[in-house]
Amino acid sequence: MSGQRLGTIVHLELTQRTRSVAWYVLLSVFAVLLIIVTALSFAAWGYAEASGSGVFSTIVYITLLLIVLVSPTLSGNAINGDREAATLAPVQVTLATTGEILLGKFFAAWITGLAFVAVSVPFLLLATLAGGSEPATVIVSLLVLVIEVGVIAAIGVGLSGILARPLFSVATTYLVVAALVIGTLIAFALVGFTLRSEAVSHYRSYDYENYQGDTFPCMPGEVPAGDYPCDDDVEITCGEWQTSVYEVPRFDRVWWMLAANPFVILADATPTTFNEDGYPVDLFGQIKTGVRGAQLPPELEQQWDDCAPYQAQDYPTPEEIVAQTTPSWFVGLGLQLLLATGLLWWAWVRTKTPARRLPPGTRIA
Amino acid sequence: MTSPGIVVDGVRRAFGDVKAVRNVTLRAQSGRVTGLVGPNGSGKTTLLLMLASLLAPDAGEIRIDGIDPVADPHAARALIGWMPDALGAWGSLTSRETLIVTARLYGMPRPDAAARADALLAEVGLVDLSGAPARVLSRGQKQRLGLARALVHDPRVLLLDEPASGLDPQARIDLRVLLRRLAGEGRTVLVSSHILAELEEVVDDAVFLVAGETVHQDRLDASARRSRAWRIRLAATDAADAAPQVAAALRLTPEFVGVDRRDVVVSFDSDATAAAALGELVGAGLPVAEFAAAQGALERAFLDLGAADVPQPPGAASALADDPAAAPDAASDHVSDHTGADETEATS
Repeated sequence: MSGQRLGTIVHLELTQRTRSVAWYVLLSVFAVLLIIVTALSFAAWGYAEASGSGVFSTIVYITLLLIVLVSPTLSGNAINGDREAATLAPVQVTLATTGEILLGKFFAAWITGLAFVAVSVPFLLLATLAGGSEPATVIVSLLVLVIEVGVIAAIGVGLSGILARPLFSVATTYLVVAALVIGTLIAFALVGFTLRSEAVSHYRSYDYENYQGDTFPCMPGEVPAGDYPCDDDVEITCGEWQTSVYEVPRFDRVWWMLAANPFVILADATPTTFNEDGYPVDLFGQIKTGVRGAQLPPELEQQWDDCAPYQAQDYPTPEEIVAQTTPSWFVGLGLQLLLATGLLWWAWVRTKTPARRLPPGTRIA
Repeated sequence: MTSPGIVVDGVRRAFGDVKAVRNVTLRAQSGRVTGLVGPNGSGKTTLLLMLASLLAPDAGEIRIDGIDPVADPHAARALIGWMPDALGAWGSLTSRETLIVTARLYGMPRPDAAARADALLAEVGLVDLSGAPARVLSRGQKQRLGLARALVHDPRVLLLDEPASGLDPQARIDLRVLLRRLAGEGRTVLVSSHILAELEEVVDDAVFLVAGETVHQDRLDASARRSRAWRIRLAATDAADAAPQVAAALRLTPEFVGVDRRDVVVSFDSDATAAAALGELVGAGLPVAEFAAAQGALERAFLDLGAADVPQPPGAASALADDPAAAPDAASDHVSDHTGADETEATS
């Protein structure tokens, strides 16, 4: 591995990208989108005391979304596109090794994706200046964003070395990225609803029909007050216990399916700030609460008794949910890194020269 | 001086069911230009890809200056300069940048790479276009850039796939001079080309490739013994009128004397017969303006091997002469004995 040759390949890739007008048009469109999103975010998060953290998280998510949408086209034809343009073989005959070529293209694709992050920096600064953002949240979320851009770049470069046709490998990159982003969500929902459990609910109501008096009886645990003159002396009769059986989805058995989702990793890995009521102050925390909440098993035995003194149901706050559930981002990120390195390694095997096997229908030069 | 720069022994390569290269054995000597001749689809490009360390042979041995490109591609690549049949140019890079990037990929420090790029641009005549992006170059200019790129790291062995295609006449002459000079410096130069007349003027040796196999020397020798066509043109005489005169002078029946455009075409079975015939024509007082083999030695061999669908001139039974220069020499020797004949030589 030579730093000079690696650097030359990265430089070559980036030079070609930066000399195309389309590239700047794309970045400008991205900037315009971010202007709109930032303005709308400030409006949407206006209810919060310090809206900055909410706006910040929204911009990071929009950036990730746009990179997910654009990045496969930037990396998905790195190797086979060059082969079609007959510019791969002239590099392969030089002293540049297959590893240097692949890594060079991967770094170039990564840096290209990071250009979108760079465009979002002014908007992120604006959000940070609006207040409320914790330094740890800012640093970790940006770090995860940078890594996710790299993972998508590696998937694209890897597939472009494995598949022969650029169009096909770009499409496959989109499918793989979509499998992570949307596929995990679909699998989570479908399998979660398939794995159902029987839940039983017992209910006993106060028997109004047999009550003859004129006053309004006090319910168990209630005492009459000036604005609530219930009759404390009436003895209430209770109805029969009724039992209903129904099915509940078991998301607590499939929550791990979301672990490899880039958006979930971003939320799960980023430290969350909660307000005094235990609610998250940004989008990262809200998504994290939703995902972590899926880990909690549903109540399979419930009892509602009108005749018993009312007991306030103790629902956990988001802060409590997050505290009592397991983080999964490192598992998801690990799987993604495994996928990315696996694809790059496969591409290395396929691109190695002198080539023994060629993909059908391709020429080496 | 003549140690083999390229040694190929029994090399085979198939792509699925297509056997692109069946059995190739050849030697290309250092200090010489070796031509690789064969019809489309005969496996020339596949062979060059294997020599360039891009493709592994299914069987057989390759040595580039003693190095096996399959076992040690890195070492072989430092020696090989490969020019593909079509230049894959980085469209947005200038010619100069293309050469600098290539030099950098060969590990050259930046100042050296820049100096080398400028020297090569001057060598191949692209100085005026050094700042133009490669995508605006014409086909011929791209070929020249491709050649410069193959020379960036001062390779010992040059593999050139159709280097002359798309070049204008002046660039072809420049290429010829350059190739002769590179061989003169002791390099091994292997050139594939379809333009046989062009190749004929630059190669020292020729290797024929037909249907993925090198043609055995015996077969070449055998075909050299067959009769082949000569073109005869009489000064200020129409070919139709000249044919009976030639037939009479050579005591041939008219059906053995053909006409092709402005030339009379006659087959002779050897150089000696042809030389004797020229003597008879001149002796008969015919104003012989041209008397030359109808085809170049390479072209004759190429067509004789039944490799091409090229329509053959009438009466052309072709062969590769053991010494391509023999026929013209014999003719001029002959003429020098017979003054008054205004003879010029021309190859078709």
